[in-house]
Amino acid sequence: MSIDKFMKGSVAGWMKSSGEHADIVMSTRIRLARNLRGHLFPIASNPEDAKKVDESVTNALLNSGEKGYEYMRMSEVPLLDRQILVEKHLVSPQLTDPKRNGAVILSADETISLMINEEDHIRIQCIYPGFQLENAYEHADSVDNELEDRLPYAFDEEFGYLTSCPSNTGTGLRASVMMHLPALTITKQIDRIIPAITRLGMVVRGSYGEGSEALGNIYQISNQTTLGKAEKEILADLKNVALRLIAHERRSREVLLSKSRVALENKLFRSLGIIKYARLLPTGEAARCLSDVRLGIDLDIIKDIDMSILNELMIFMQPGYLQHYAKTDLTAEERDIFRADLFRERLRVKHVEKEDTEE
Amino acid sequence: MMVCDNCKERQASVIFTQENEGVTTERHLCEKCAFQSQMFHLDPSQEPLSIQQFLSHWFGGVESMQPFQQTQEGIPDGPTCPDCGLTFKKFLDIGKFGCPTCYSTFKERLPRIFSKLHNGHTTHVGKIPVSFNELFAVKKKIEEIRAQMQQAIDAERFEDAALLRDEAKALKQRLAACQDGGGDNDVN
Repeated sequence: MSIDKFMKGSVAGWMKSSGEHADIVMSTRIRLARNLRGHLFPIASNPEDAKKVDESVTNALLNSGEKGYEYMRMSEVPLLDRQILVEKHLVSPQLTDPKRNGAVILSADETISLMINEEDHIRIQCIYPGFQLENAYEHADSVDNELEDRLPYAFDEEFGYLTSCPSNTGTGLRASVMMHLPALTITKQIDRIIPAITRLGMVVRGSYGEGSEALGNIYQISNQTTLGKAEKEILADLKNVALRLIAHERRSREVLLSKSRVALENKLFRSLGIIKYARLLPTGEAARCLSDVRLGIDLDIIKDIDMSILNELMIFMQPGYLQHYAKTDLTAEERDIFRADLFRERLRVKHVEKEDTEE
Repeated sequence: MMVCDNCKERQASVIFTQENEGVTTERHLCEKCAFQSQMFHLDPSQEPLSIQQFLSHWFGGVESMQPFQQTQEGIPDGPTCPDCGLTFKKFLDIGKFGCPTCYSTFKERLPRIFSKLHNGHTTHVGKIPVSFNELFAVKKKIEEIRAQMQQAIDAERFEDAALLRDEAKALKQRLAACQDGGGDNDVN
């Protein structure tokens, strides 16, 4: 059994480990909310109107000359595939509700995903690996310009882009960076930092969206304010906060190394042991161990594991992916077994399995 | 996942408590059914604080939390959006607009809400779509031409006034085309 082929087709561009500060900032995401004049927002809309919106947006983008876009109507996508799109962060869980008349248009490299009939008629999303706020924004902005050229946007002189939720009114821009902050978490500094960030008009969330805990010490930092600030200003403010967090995290890592090196090494190597040899690997434990191993690689304590494999496993450990690979529905316990099997295989410890079977 | 009490299909995301002759019933609705439903008010104890609760607490929930001072019927519905039928009270309950026209319907009341949500800001200063820039430019040009036309009439230069009238007419058609969508239909 080799998962290489599956991984190759399943890992989106942003999951590859690259870009500035890629050791701490895992990915950058830009989202623009847009709506069309003359149509009710999806919350109040009916299927016929939703279909018209879908057709207008699809025609506008697919005729834009840029090739490689793929259109998928959510009601026609199998349940498991929808779950995988969510786990890859390419669509929101809300969009996958078949009653929503939702659709998604993906660019070939999955950098751009355009959701149709989510909370707003159009949500342009651009995900880049590492810390690339400007690049990701410029890309999303260029798609926005293409659409704007062909579609009548709902826009107001005073309020800007008109969105269904008043928390998006204005620029409709939500910029987020996904950050791995294990040292700030271990030293509990994160508990003081989160309220401070909130006061600066930013939001901190766990990596799997609203309300989720910070699984594997991964935090998503986004702007909260979309009105009264220009796009450049929103990006600059978020960038400043992220840079300060990066500096804090690096300093905490140095302190940990100098003051409690053995304890730290012990913790990280134990986690490596677990993901290499465990036979049952629940989601929470897998996420915690991956975070430790990632920190170990960043600190040059763990040397024989490639970071890109770790990134893949972070995505791959999720239920939808596991079941997709297993080609069948799995119970929670079966998933934990399957997850452990795949981790061992991916981390290439086959010789241990051989020894096991010889015993 | 909790399923909506009404459609039994979508995920419930809004909890409403309904009081009828002293009996309180709780309804779990999805956003869409909440939008379409009539006569409800929010359960203030619902956690975590979502946008609809935030709005309801700040702007609409005060009365509903003080039932002895004011009855539920006493809360005014406010203006109603002609396009989607959303009342201002319902907007505060669900925390979402139903269509672009809601913005002009509730225009006077929005700065207060935006100020709370956006750190004191109430006006957009970011990107403007090119088509709207064009729209503003055409509107301004029409105003200018009308002023010139009035001057021409006052000075009894009627031939000039007629030319200006034709120009204004063409621009008005162009404006209509802009408002109709995109800048594609070039009238000139």
